[in-house]
Amino acid sequence: MEYAGEHLWAGNLGNAFVVLSLVAALVSCFTYLLASKNSAYLALARAAFNVHSFSVIGIAGTLFFMLFNHYFEYQYVYQHSNTTMNMKYILSCFWEGQEGSFLLWTFWNMVLGLILKKQLKGGDWEVPVMMVFALVQVFLASMILGIYLIDYKIGTNPFMLLRDHPDYAKAPFIQGADYVSKLNGRGLNPLLMNYWMTIHPPTLFLGFASTLIPFAFAIGAFWNKKYNEWQTIALPWTYFGILILGVGILMGGAWAYEALSFGGFWAWDPVENSSLVPWLVLVAAGHTMIINKNKGGSLFTTHFLAICSFLLVLYSTFLTRSGILGNASVHAFTDLGMTGQLVLYVLTFIFISVALLVRSPLLRSTYMVLSFELAVFASLYDFAKLALMGWVVVSAILIVYAYVFYFPKEKEEEDLFSREFWIFLGSLVLVLSALIITFFTSTPVINKLFGTELAPQKVPEYNRWMAPFAIAMILLVAAAQFLKYKKTEPKKFLKRIALNFFVSLVFGLICCIPLYFMHGYAEAEAGQKWDLISYALLFIASVFAAVANFDYFLAVLKGKVMKSGASIAHIGFALILLGALISTSKKTVLSQNTSERKVSGLGADFDDKKSILLTQGDTLPMGPYFVTYTGKKREGINVSFNVDYLKRNEQKELELDFTLSPLIQDNPRMGRAAEPATRHYLSRDIYTHVTYADLEERDTSSKARNAYSSAKNYIGGMGDTIYSSNAIIVIDSLRSNLSQKEYEKNSSSIEVTAVLRCMDVNSNVYKVYPKFVIKNSIIIPQEAVCEPLGLKFVFWKINPEEGHVEITMSEKVVNSKDFIVMEAYVFPYINILWLGSLIMAIGTAIAIVERIRKFRPTKVNV
Amino acid sequence: MKKLHIIGIVIIAIAIGVIFVSLKNTSKYADFAEAMANPDTEYHVVGKLDKNQPQFYEPKVNPDEFIFSMLDNKGVQRQVVLHKSRPQDFEKSEQIVLIGKMHGEQFHANDILMKCPSKYNDANSRPN
Repeated sequence: MEYAGEHLWAGNLGNAFVVLSLVAALVSCFTYLLASKNSAYLALARAAFNVHSFSVIGIAGTLFFMLFNHYFEYQYVYQHSNTTMNMKYILSCFWEGQEGSFLLWTFWNMVLGLILKKQLKGGDWEVPVMMVFALVQVFLASMILGIYLIDYKIGTNPFMLLRDHPDYAKAPFIQGADYVSKLNGRGLNPLLMNYWMTIHPPTLFLGFASTLIPFAFAIGAFWNKKYNEWQTIALPWTYFGILILGVGILMGGAWAYEALSFGGFWAWDPVENSSLVPWLVLVAAGHTMIINKNKGGSLFTTHFLAICSFLLVLYSTFLTRSGILGNASVHAFTDLGMTGQLVLYVLTFIFISVALLVRSPLLRSTYMVLSFELAVFASLYDFAKLALMGWVVVSAILIVYAYVFYFPKEKEEEDLFSREFWIFLGSLVLVLSALIITFFTSTPVINKLFGTELAPQKVPEYNRWMAPFAIAMILLVAAAQFLKYKKTEPKKFLKRIALNFFVSLVFGLICCIPLYFMHGYAEAEAGQKWDLISYALLFIASVFAAVANFDYFLAVLKGKVMKSGASIAHIGFALILLGALISTSKKTVLSQNTSERKVSGLGADFDDKKSILLTQGDTLPMGPYFVTYTGKKREGINVSFNVDYLKRNEQKELELDFTLSPLIQDNPRMGRAAEPATRHYLSRDIYTHVTYADLEERDTSSKARNAYSSAKNYIGGMGDTIYSSNAIIVIDSLRSNLSQKEYEKNSSSIEVTAVLRCMDVNSNVYKVYPKFVIKNSIIIPQEAVCEPLGLKFVFWKINPEEGHVEITMSEKVVNSKDFIVMEAYVFPYINILWLGSLIMAIGTAIAIVERIRKFRPTKVNV
Repeated sequence: MKKLHIIGIVIIAIAIGVIFVSLKNTSKYADFAEAMANPDTEYHVVGKLDKNQPQFYEPKVNPDEFIFSMLDNKGVQRQVVLHKSRPQDFEKSEQIVLIGKMHGEQFHANDILMKCPSKYNDANSRPN
């Protein structure tokens, strides 16, 4: 069939760029390989990389053009944009889908690759580093290829036509020849229409992309068999990665806190963890590089960590995009059927790293043959898991072998009082915590491999496990600066550090004792006591780190900002931990409800008093405030609920303090989503979100006002209560016109009256008498109405054996006032966290500039 | 032996220790039968909302109590007391993961995860 109005050229152009980018990256990788033997190929290799870069820009440009011009015949455009949306979100549309976010990653790799190509031109490092870059680009380009090789789908293509897409091919709305003119896209998910979605993904992906730089250099070092040079060039880049990835992660936290109702800034979600872990390892790698630069040594660790950081980015790509997280995460991507490809991607780069690490040709070829054989076996027979585990063990043995035999060892042992020793220890603590987080996050993978049924860890468990590591890390951050490389006089060091420590200890104890030990410590369970002690230790240690680094900055560095990147970044890091600690451990629930029901014996986890019910117009006490829900307002798909916060003034009158309007988004694509509203103060945040509400507008016409809502049935004995929206009703007693004997004699008619006592909020009591009448064995209940309360009762069943009666109650619609169920929390001192983030970012940026200046590479031979 | 080697061994020991201790304490996925057998242990139970059974949510009585019935993956039905407010879009959930323990005949959950048909990339949830 001929279809009118399709812009087929755009898809063809896009696909041409996709294929060109893949081929050019492949050519570039291969010619760089040849160039390592014959430099005549260099020009071709560079040109191929330029072609690749041009094609990547071409892909991105084409996709933008299509989004901008609403070419809805393309699935990606249809899926992620529409004509009514604000064009300022077009960038968000671009990277909302998997394909677009792969493209974003490819784009940043390409940009970094171009810069490095220029920086390294003609030197020893250009060939291996660019070879790795080109190879990674080959893999990434294949992710958006979208072709089938026999039965295997390779990548998903952003330029696929809607009518070619398996989900839509048979959809009725694309059947006519003129379907294009009738199309409008589904649009961007409204939940993602905010500035966070515009800035968070590009920052995070630039961070991911920059982990490739230390990786490429480390692989290049195996290639060049030179282990000591590259750190000079790679060090500023590594810190660039630390900065950008760190900022990206914190932005994600801020987004979650501001706009999503996770109830905090960090939920240890697998998706969050899988960007944190590469960052931790990258920070560790950055620090061992510093040891190497200043004193030498730590070679194996530096290489190992530089490689791991990138491999962990790949692993997290696998975790978040393969659908394996399934139930474990709230915001992983859905499975696009690329699991196999993603696994292959991770394993290939582990293979390359190990194969190059091993220097002996015999061992290397054995490893390559073995890997190949295992891969063949795994794909032909049902040994995939076993083969994988065997291969991992072999690879690990080879890594240990390489460590023992290939890397130069320090002849002298590190002195206990040397800076390198403590920095190294800090790196190990970082790696260890990264390892444990990875293990916790990987439960779905472990379940798949070993057939276990492990459930993911919960937030308090993560906090409990990570606290000791944070304490160890931050103590090292406090002390390491005061030590010199190689050897320090212990007395001098202890003298310097002692004052800082005592100041911090006194300040910390003054803060911690009321915070953690005054209330409820004695009654706490053993586990909670342990938590409180570790909070206090972390508090003191973080203060110590901030104070000690500040002292170092003033006393040793004489307050020269441009020389103090490390100290400033460390102060920022200490403040981040301090802010996170206080705001999390002292997060308090304001919205306690007063319900009496409690299931005993379930433990503290089942404390069900977090929510408060607010009926429109009523004023209730909540923490230090009085709150009134004043009504809701619908704007498009957002329904906002206005809640006034009142406080008593000096005349003891209630006075409006502020108003918060948490939202519920009636999101057509993913259902209802709560968006919190937060009142910021310098020392605390009041954070609220609505958990349950009726989004519909109420009918206020007089007819509707007098109507009764549908009846609800209640079963109960004497003395039981029924709750209506405006009263508490007690089943007081039953009265019968006949005694049992009379009834037996005269069976024509019996009348039982229920006496109901209705008490309203002002303690007025109304009595109502619904009747249960049996005449000639036919039940004729007589309803009774309580006019002042707008309640109607029908008494229709008696169960003499159990002593129960059944009564239905209906209420006038006007009775049931609008209400919301809301949670409100106080996050104390969360601003310390944001301040720390800013200081750490500034400090890291200064450190990068500092490093570039200090180690400006001596002109490489051109 | 060098200091660093000792530290390395200590660190590996800590890692293995943490992993084993946490494995012991980690909650597991289970069905109602297993949760019934160990009433004091916390489990993650996966299942579906039983739409034929009534649901009770009376925020006036207790906004943090929601009662419904769930069928686990083996088809066993139990009444569930969720100690939280009623989740938004509860009926639309395709799959429910409850976190909690059995207490008498009821399963008491302190948290719930729901899988709804459309989360982020909805077209990719394949229409049948």
